[in-house]
Amino acid sequence: MKRKVFSLILVVIMVLAFNSLAMAQDDPIKLGFFAPVTGPAAADGESALNSAKLAIEVINEKGGIDGREVELVNYDDHLDSKQSVSIAQKLTTRDNVVAVVSGSYSGTTRPAANIYQNAKVPMISAYAIHPDIPKSGDYIFQQSFPGPVQGKVGGYMAVDNLGAQKIAILYVDNDFGNTLNDNFQKYVEDKGAEVVYVDSFAIGEREFNPVLTKIKGLNPDLIYVVAYAGEGAAIMRQSVDVGIEAQILGTEGMDSTTQFLQVAGDAAEGLIITTNLNRDSEEEQVRDYINRYTEKYGFAPDMVGASTYDGFMLLAHVMRQVGPDSEAIKDAMYEVEDYMTNTGLLYRYNEIGEAVKPVQVQIVKDGEFHYYDQITDMDIIAP
Amino acid sequence: MFLQQLLNSIAIGSVYALTSMGATLIYGILGILDIANAGAYVLGAYLGLLFYSLSGNILIAFVVTMIITGLFGILIQKYVYRPLLSQPAYIPLIASIGIFIFIENIIRLIAGPTIKEFTVNLPFQSLNFANLHINNVWVLIFIVALILMFLLWYLLKMTKIGLAWRATAQDLDIAKTMGINTNRVISLNFFLGYSFAASAGILIGILYNSIYPTMGSVVSYKMLAIIVLGGLGNPFGTLVAALLIGFIETMVGAYIGFFIPRNAIAFVALVIILLISPQGLFTQKSRI
Repeated sequence: MKRKVFSLILVVIMVLAFNSLAMAQDDPIKLGFFAPVTGPAAADGESALNSAKLAIEVINEKGGIDGREVELVNYDDHLDSKQSVSIAQKLTTRDNVVAVVSGSYSGTTRPAANIYQNAKVPMISAYAIHPDIPKSGDYIFQQSFPGPVQGKVGGYMAVDNLGAQKIAILYVDNDFGNTLNDNFQKYVEDKGAEVVYVDSFAIGEREFNPVLTKIKGLNPDLIYVVAYAGEGAAIMRQSVDVGIEAQILGTEGMDSTTQFLQVAGDAAEGLIITTNLNRDSEEEQVRDYINRYTEKYGFAPDMVGASTYDGFMLLAHVMRQVGPDSEAIKDAMYEVEDYMTNTGLLYRYNEIGEAVKPVQVQIVKDGEFHYYDQITDMDIIAP
Repeated sequence: MFLQQLLNSIAIGSVYALTSMGATLIYGILGILDIANAGAYVLGAYLGLLFYSLSGNILIAFVVTMIITGLFGILIQKYVYRPLLSQPAYIPLIASIGIFIFIENIIRLIAGPTIKEFTVNLPFQSLNFANLHINNVWVLIFIVALILMFLLWYLLKMTKIGLAWRATAQDLDIAKTMGINTNRVISLNFFLGYSFAASAGILIGILYNSIYPTMGSVVSYKMLAIIVLGGLGNPFGTLVAALLIGFIETMVGAYIGFFIPRNAIAFVALVIILLISPQGLFTQKSRI
């Protein structure tokens, strides 16, 4: 009798095991994600996470990938590279995701990129733009144009478009700020403009009166500011206070409605920034994204959110062609051509995994970002 | 130009004085380095915005916020620090770091991580004359700082409770045997320490028109440099140290450039001054 019960149990177990094997095909496809949802960059982290969730929702609404649902496996890296590395290990060894989108900064994405490369899991960095990230290997891609391109476009706007000859630079002292500053400065100096002042500041700095007072005394035509929303808003407000009249040229770091435009208020009028999100875009998908995000979360998205969303959509686009296989996804990424994203037309990826995309130039008018220019000149935007 | 930078430095120094004063008071009486005071600063900023948007009156917002944050200080003191008083000094220090992180994250969970604007229309405008700019919020900060410093001075030097406070600061046990209700004195001390921090949070929120959950993180360590420099627990020393740090930061930034991050300048100044005068700018004798 005992033996009979035992064999019965064995049969049940085997049936269940086969069943689960058969089910495996219909298990959701896991996509990994990490962002600094807590800590000093929590606002960007939340913006990225919101968009990641929205992207997964939209992909599943459209029937998933060949009928299979997509599942988001997300972690908070606290803007700490030790965390982003251990998350990379978890995602690749325990969660077994097929691909990953980074919703974090360059400092945290860089060390994690090596782990994804070694594990042969494709990773798309949504808005971390340090040039070393795609150089980590053939599985690593950037969703947005690399930092050096944005720095160069800044230089082009400053000298060739706005005609500045005397330039002051203020940049945030991290991977983002240093990359943009180096390339901006090189471009403007090659073009014969004079850089009269360069200074950096730490993330979280709010007091710029002493520096701006000094810059005012040097009387530059243009100030290039590489800052995030909080620091950027402080710079805009205080530059009005000290009476600076020079044109201010910013970057995607200030591309935020709630965090930057509302805080800076009238002081932001006339600011020009280089970014990847064109708020005046006529493209239906951009309008859809902005409307849907605003409806779901109660405020307008920023470039961080749009870039993250694009990262997932790009993965879905590729997986619909080649299926949810890490290596096939990697190979197919290099074949992508003229794919429309929320952050502009993705022409292609180069051999390193850097995106070739147009750079948007936006201006603040009546408290909103509007179209100012779009740089498509390959001499400037090719990485 | 120099005059403008001097004005900038006084404004920055006053801001530092206000943010460090709460922690100085608490160190003065219990010898605890109260990092959680930076949490009271963040809490104060958020409560200030809440009550300002509810009442539409910044004065009401100030008073209500200072009272609530002060009461919060009493609770922290009673349920966290008092049981730890007999432990070595680093244990309450670790507890205070824990409270600080806790407050930051509770606020992030409730109010969200994004920057919120704190726009207040003041009854007076910024002044601009002869190329000089005086921000109207600076004026507000000077006024509030003066009022609070005067109150503190009056309380400490002119009242009986001030005497009890000074006695408790000198020696808690002896004060207790002399019949002073030291628990009440310590409670008052925390009340004031936390409400000072709250007022600083509101003022900084208005100055930069923004509040966010991590706004206390720079404050939490710079405050330490200032109270150490000021002679640990000496309110007058803290005021001078704050103005001095504001001055050094501004002038280094203006005339030498930020060869190191601005926030590190305070610590370089601290190291240099402590090498020359190990007691800080003012010795323990003049403490409270």
